Amino acid sequence: MTSSSGAILREPRLRINRHRRLCLSITAVLVALSVLGLVLSWLSPIQAPLKPGLDFTGGTSIQVERNCGDRCAELSVQQVQEALPAAAVVQLLDDGQAVSVRSSALSPAESGAFVDALEQVAGPLIATDTQINTIGPVLGKQLLTSSVLALTVSFAAVALYISARYARLYAALALLALAHDVLITSGLFAWLGLLAGVEVNSLFAVALLTLAGYSVNDTVVVFDRIREQQRLLPDLSVEDQVDRAVDGTLTRSIYTSLSTEIPILALILFGGASLQWFAVALFVGIAVGAWSSVAVVPPLLPLMGGRLPQRAASSGVVA
Amino acid sequence: MTRPQGWLALILALAIGSLLVLRSLPLSLGLDLRGGSQLTLLVKPAGDITRVESKQLEAVKEVLERRVNGLGVSEASVTTSGSDRIVVQLPGVQDPRRAAEVLGTTARLEFRAQKPETQQELSNLTRLKRLIVARQEQLAGRNQASDGEQAPDVSGPLTDLLKQQGIEVPANASEEEQLEALLIETERRITPLFGEPELTGSDLVDAGRQQQQGSQSWEVTLRFSQAGGEKFADLTKSIAGTNRLLGIMLDGRSISEASVGPQFATAGITGGAATITGRFSADEARDLEVQLRGGALPLPVEIIENRSVGPTLGAQNIRNSLIAAGSGTALVGVFMVIIYRLPGAVALLALLLYSLFNLALYALIPVTLTLPGIAGFILSVGMAVDANILIFERSKEELRDGNTLFRSVDTGFSRAFSSIFDGHLTTLISCAALGWLGSGLVRGFAVTLAIGVLLSLFTALTCTRTLMRLALSYPALRKPSLFLAASSQP
Repeated sequence: MTSSSGAILREPRLRINRHRRLCLSITAVLVALSVLGLVLSWLSPIQAPLKPGLDFTGGTSIQVERNCGDRCAELSVQQVQEALPAAAVVQLLDDGQAVSVRSSALSPAESGAFVDALEQVAGPLIATDTQINTIGPVLGKQLLTSSVLALTVSFAAVALYISARYARLYAALALLALAHDVLITSGLFAWLGLLAGVEVNSLFAVALLTLAGYSVNDTVVVFDRIREQQRLLPDLSVEDQVDRAVDGTLTRSIYTSLSTEIPILALILFGGASLQWFAVALFVGIAVGAWSSVAVVPPLLPLMGGRLPQRAASSGVVA
Repeated sequence: MTRPQGWLALILALAIGSLLVLRSLPLSLGLDLRGGSQLTLLVKPAGDITRVESKQLEAVKEVLERRVNGLGVSEASVTTSGSDRIVVQLPGVQDPRRAAEVLGTTARLEFRAQKPETQQELSNLTRLKRLIVARQEQLAGRNQASDGEQAPDVSGPLTDLLKQQGIEVPANASEEEQLEALLIETERRITPLFGEPELTGSDLVDAGRQQQQGSQSWEVTLRFSQAGGEKFADLTKSIAGTNRLLGIMLDGRSISEASVGPQFATAGITGGAATITGRFSADEARDLEVQLRGGALPLPVEIIENRSVGPTLGAQNIRNSLIAAGSGTALVGVFMVIIYRLPGAVALLALLLYSLFNLALYALIPVTLTLPGIAGFILSVGMAVDANILIFERSKEELRDGNTLFRSVDTGFSRAFSSIFDGHLTTLISCAALGWLGSGLVRGFAVTLAIGVLLSLFTALTCTRTLMRLALSYPALRKPSLFLAASSQP
């Protein structure tokens, strides 16, 4: 282990525990803002912490593109609404080039009748661009429960794994980081829902579930370093060990987040409307995840003990 | 890992194999990428059955498969999902109305004999039915010949009739819709005037359709099995010459009532064939033919989800995600080369191999690529790069501490392993939870992410490592400046 002797001597460039107060204050502000967003959203007409989209509420959405060359004939929302066979929320998109219709769940025959009516009032339509989504109300509820269940199960499984590989405190902190990441990402979308009408759909659930996995991955890398420090430098204080671990993984954390954010940025820019908000959720979540693994968990760890049992400290997998 | 040559040969073989796989097996694209309709059907318990079991689900699926084949949609797929759902994918179908009608109805065909002493009641109902049908045909412009003589105008008393029968229709329903509602109700009321079903759709061996002579209407022809033919003969014999009628019921609606002439009183109608003349349009006749050929659904179904994406929209989605995936990978490559120099270039090569293996696995397994699936892939690219970054950061540290290149690279790999392993495993745990509990979209995402994470474990630990060793075997490449930015050199 002569190769690591150099590392022992070098003073860490960053001592995260010296900035504990700042880190935790920033975190507290972010969390408070998120909770505020969720609560406001609950109190607003949305009546839920996040504005639920079609996937959760059930219903039918129809989107058609009009085929009218350079300029489309004038069309008003009211005109469309009157032409439709049943009540629906109508939106004109892209300067009236596209029409979006939202209603309660329709059978295929009924939604076909809607498209026919749209053809009458807003036609001619580009038939190959029509998009119809119908989600039964049962399905929406099921999506919610299955997402929550999946999240809980993956929480539990990850906690078990970290307890076994590290210690129970580490598992608790990893889950705390995870909850922090999910909460702040949700908080942002609560604000987006309040201010810009952004809805969450099943892809948002997927994004949160992905973050759960990614966030833990990020945190575990720091844990792994702490374990190594405790093995190599057992005489240092926990605070010192944690500082060195964070310092040693900081470059990696930044680079990794950057290298993951780059493809996601590409997804935001070029992925098209259907994936845009999904990508935004991932983008924010990964940034927040990097923050929590560097600036939330490490400052908390020494406060709560944080020394690994000897067995765990020496059981690192070595290739 | 003592023989890098062996690993190199393996990697080359896998790369060539992947290319061959991709050449011969097409990637299957989800409907959101190629355009089409996806219907999710909920199988509902009925009668004695209170819970849908896998055997019944399979039975429903088989019938639906036959019907889908009958619809003539190429590459359609019917899969079960969960304990009581069936997902039908119809590529290229933009208007799922017809498919929904054909798939969603039970199509339980029954032949029944009229109960005695019901003549008066039945003739009232059949007269009403005839009036409705005549008016419908008149409205549809299908029956102009008889326009003058018997065009009963039921539009006036129609609303009264509806009210009288206790049928509720939307206030703004058109006359056609009111007529349809009335017709369905009338046909339902006819059914109890007939006895128990004596012959059902399961006694059929084939169904067909033909245009009725001298008419715009179509009729559906039936061919019975041996036993079915005998039952049909018995049934017709029993009512031949009486004034009781033979009723043909579909899903509890009487679609045709026919009298059987006295000449059949001795043997019944033999020959094992029959024709239903229910004044079908060409489309209706074709749909009924498809349903009867496919058999009746053992349990009723309800369409609970319908997602339809037009083909140009799908093509747009493909283009968008290809651009995103391509530019994402390219940018990450540039990032890696800027930061890590030679190792970065090696990582980029490993990343390209990684993408290639991924695509080949999608074709092999096969994984149907959907938008969330592509998102999963793009995310896994990020994670694959993470493994390389962990390794290179470790190597850099070793190098800064004054170790030799070889030693630094090797130690980098072995010391990064435990964090790579832990990180990948926790992601895999999440994927398992998602794939196991999530539905549809969520599962597609979990599958590609899981494949990506597993592969990344392989490429980071073998491809990058082998390629690094290969690079280091060229003396010209063994310069620390190719590994460290000038500022951080010792």
